[in-house]
Amino acid sequence: MPEIMEQPLFNFTTYPAIGEDDWRYIYATAEIRAIEDKLLGQPFFAELAGAKNIKDALDMLSGTDYAVSAGANGQETEQMLGRRRSEVRRLFERLIDNEKIVEFFQSPIDFANMRLAIRRLVLEKPLSDDYCDLGGVSVAQFEAAFSDEDYGGLPEHLQEGIEAGVLGYYKNKNVRDIDFAIDKVEADFLLDEAMGVGGVFLEELFRIQTDLTNIKTMFRMKYSNSQLRNMFFDDGYIEPSRLAQCLEAGYDTIVQNFLATPYQYVVEAGAAGLQKENSFIKLEAACDAHLNGFLKTTRYITAGTQPIIAYLLLKEQEIKMMRMVLACKKSQIEPEIILDRLAI
Amino acid sequence: MLENLGLTYALAGAAIATFVAGIGSATGLCIASKAADGVLSEKPERYGSLMLMVLLPSTQGIYGFVISIMVMVKLQIIGGNPLPVTAVQGLEILAACLPVGIASLASGIQQGKAGAAGIIMTAKKPEMAVKAGVLYAAMIEFYAILGFLTSLLLLLGIKVVAA
Repeated sequence: MPEIMEQPLFNFTTYPAIGEDDWRYIYATAEIRAIEDKLLGQPFFAELAGAKNIKDALDMLSGTDYAVSAGANGQETEQMLGRRRSEVRRLFERLIDNEKIVEFFQSPIDFANMRLAIRRLVLEKPLSDDYCDLGGVSVAQFEAAFSDEDYGGLPEHLQEGIEAGVLGYYKNKNVRDIDFAIDKVEADFLLDEAMGVGGVFLEELFRIQTDLTNIKTMFRMKYSNSQLRNMFFDDGYIEPSRLAQCLEAGYDTIVQNFLATPYQYVVEAGAAGLQKENSFIKLEAACDAHLNGFLKTTRYITAGTQPIIAYLLLKEQEIKMMRMVLACKKSQIEPEIILDRLAI
Repeated sequence: MLENLGLTYALAGAAIATFVAGIGSATGLCIASKAADGVLSEKPERYGSLMLMVLLPSTQGIYGFVISIMVMVKLQIIGGNPLPVTAVQGLEILAACLPVGIASLASGIQQGKAGAAGIIMTAKKPEMAVKAGVLYAAMIEFYAILGFLTSLLLLLGIKVVAA
């Protein structure tokens, strides 16, 4: 793992630098800008959340990328969302034309598949076929490697992850330790990759995502009175020691700990949600809003990889929101709760 | 050999005016065209509103070419009987060609980039195509025109007489 450059929080105001134009990507950026306005905005989701029932919600999707037949069931809707995700991934790979960046965004899927496979392996459950096929390693290759227990054909970082995951499990025979061990390998690998690509955008993106993950972990641990203290990644901007201090402090002190940092509003929203409503909804929404805000700063780049990466993440976020709203509508959850989660 | 040195300098000036300004225009056009192609791949109906922004950087090459022609006319190259030019006169003509070359190189590339940004904006806000997209990019043209005028006035001021 490379040495992490120390960058104190006061080096940026809300969002860090996103790098400069790269004119090799002018065609790709222009294509992205032309399709960007098809992204569904918050007003659409607010309207969707307010639909009377799931049938009305599905009717509202006609004319969008998410159109399905009126009587579509959950499985058909899920298949449609899966197709949209595959399409956006294919578009991204075509436009970005950079193996390292493609690998960076495929790796989390590979690691997720691996977590699933290792859990089944150590718990001696049969290997299933519900892996995501959008990673860098094909599902068939995964299945073959795990059924034969021969991991030599997998990329080095995945082999390292498998070893860490299995060793982590057998230390305490605790399934959660598989995730903790693999998370660490994944974070180190992604930081290496982000720094190896060149330019600052991917690295900043990764660090912001890490910070948000750490903040969410901190609130969850605090809420559940967890005694664990070394669960934070050290690849973000926020020092793990600051997060560990928050576990011992009251919610008001936690907010003070983050004053004048870019995460002040995220932490305020998270603390308020837990104090008043015993809910993580506001925290999740604030984290999404913070990340989306960072991605939207790429509008100041005329040509480069940044707008293409931002589009991929915003589109995947849109698909996630669509899945959430449709699932909520199907379960007849109140529109106010859905809107709260969507931060609208 | 040295008796042709003046003519060589002058012709190098003419070549620089065309080539360097041409590089500026070609690069600018390339950038703007790629941006337009990207937008048109999704929104072919925007072809008309993008055309002007793509073409804007093409003028720089024309300015350089006009200055080259003026040099050739001044030296009677086109007639096939070039005037004898002293080394100093040759250097003066070479120097006179530099403003249009350099200004066109820089402004052509930057105009292409500004045009590309305008094209990308037009993908989202077509109503702003002329107000911002074309107008902002066209402002860069002013500096190419200044380079062209400087070269033109300098050339007109140089008297070529038989050595």
